[in-house]
Amino acid sequence: MSKMALSEKLTSYTVLLAVGILLGAPFLYMISIALASDATTVQSAFTFLPGEWVWENFIKVFTNNNLGLYLKNSLIITSWTIVGSVFSASFVAYGFARLKAPGSGVLFLVLLSTMMIPGEITMIPQFILFRKLGWVNTFYPLIVPSFFAGAFNVFLIRQFVMAIPRSLDEAAKIDGMGHLGIYSKIILPMTYPILAAIAIFSFSWNWGNFMGPLIYINDSAKMPLALGVQLISTVSGGQMPPWNIVMVASLFLTIPMILIYLIGQRFVYEANISGGSSAIK
Amino acid sequence: MRNKEGAWFYFFISPWLAGFALLTLGPILFSIYMSFTDWDLFQTPHFIGFDNYQQLLTEDPIFWKSVFNTFYYALIAVPLGMAISLWIAYYLNKKLKGITFFRVLFYLPSVVPVVASSLLFIHLFAPSAGLINKTLQVFGIIGPAWLLDANWVKPALIIMSLWGVGGGIVLLLAGMKGIPAEFYEAAAIDGASSKQAFFRITFPMLTPVIFFNLVTGIIGALQTFAQVFIVTEGGPDNASQMIVPYLFQNAFRFYKMGYASSIAWVLFIIILALTLVVFRSSALWVHYEEGKNA
Repeated sequence: MSKMALSEKLTSYTVLLAVGILLGAPFLYMISIALASDATTVQSAFTFLPGEWVWENFIKVFTNNNLGLYLKNSLIITSWTIVGSVFSASFVAYGFARLKAPGSGVLFLVLLSTMMIPGEITMIPQFILFRKLGWVNTFYPLIVPSFFAGAFNVFLIRQFVMAIPRSLDEAAKIDGMGHLGIYSKIILPMTYPILAAIAIFSFSWNWGNFMGPLIYINDSAKMPLALGVQLISTVSGGQMPPWNIVMVASLFLTIPMILIYLIGQRFVYEANISGGSSAIK
Repeated sequence: MRNKEGAWFYFFISPWLAGFALLTLGPILFSIYMSFTDWDLFQTPHFIGFDNYQQLLTEDPIFWKSVFNTFYYALIAVPLGMAISLWIAYYLNKKLKGITFFRVLFYLPSVVPVVASSLLFIHLFAPSAGLINKTLQVFGIIGPAWLLDANWVKPALIIMSLWGVGGGIVLLLAGMKGIPAEFYEAAAIDGASSKQAFFRITFPMLTPVIFFNLVTGIIGALQTFAQVFIVTEGGPDNASQMIVPYLFQNAFRFYKMGYASSIAWVLFIIILALTLVVFRSSALWVHYEEGKNA
């Protein structure tokens, strides 16, 4: 590209800076509230930039508000959903990518069409089913569905597997490997970039998921962080919620997402660009 | 041999097949059935025909209000967000020092969990003490009461959604990278300004990405839940009530499972219809490269 004119540079930086301030300001306000004292909180006298530095809030949220427990619950739930969605989807994707059977084409179309069904339709019957199983106030309704292979994930991995040359499968077959061996020893290791991407998607979705826990978990000891934070913000009896503590908890909810994005963007990016080419090597 | 492969196929897809039967197909059928009953989760359901749908469509002003609010929100927030993300992407695509910093910064709000951003925006929109009205005050403007004002609560939710515009920018930037440099070189030789190049080359070449963002964005916005549930609880006076929070309220607060199921099916029809309209309109404005016509 040719060299940019000074005026063009100037406008560009002005626009970027202005947008940066608008999009960055809520983050600063969040931190400012998180560091405010209880006195400031009661008066809602928050400032844009942190005026006080009450770091005790970050300890109080653990001692007074169960944050440790919420974090632990979130970690358990998200870990299991990642394991479940990655393994079940890759297993199913191998079937759709490599094996043919009467009805396999139709079933793939059925799989694709399930992506069009909004979750609101299946939500109520699923609640009734899980309630019958006695799973209300347990992690099961939040974890178990991920072990049944999400359609979108299956589709992504299948596209990836299709790009892996079948000659590798054939060679393994000659060496006496069965389908389970080919899946676990040949295909699974080669699909690692797309599996990492799916793990990241799965983390993002489940870490922040609010509606699921809201439906199934009433017991505060079982709540994941996303619901726990909201619980802290709803105080009964006309009292003011401890907003400084709420924002500390919100930061704990947000920071892992930012870290995962910073670490994970490389994987997601690689998964996109290397879709088939690197798998051939 | 053939049969054996078939058996293996069903073995491998069995997790999905079981999930499809138990968590998708079964629930769909059950949901259709429930929508024709008065089931309240505790008593035996009675078959009541189309009563739920009739009540919903003809005797429930709150439902219509929530449909209107949902459309208002989706049809303004999504196109507006896309216009802004396109505008920002134009600048983020320039080769400038520190551009990576801006790319990361602009994307960050879109990874914030909706619970955290909802709780934060309660404060940003606070009538007198909130950051937004305090900032407006600096410019001599007395801001509205936002979340407490029936006229301003929907714009407030739209503004909140705009904080996440960065989410759509990634695909736009990737699309911009895919436009061959020769196009711009040829345009420059013909004396096109950078603005002309943007509207004659960049924008038409990006329409497939914009189309994708529009479809997924509208579908997502029609299903808005947490923002409304946490920030406004549908108020004031149902001015921000939307379809999914209303469905949730009926199902899990009033246990009107039959009625809530009928709301779910009306929502499904709305999503389907709106998606079809957008798809139909795409022939008019989405540009596909020759030979790639989809």
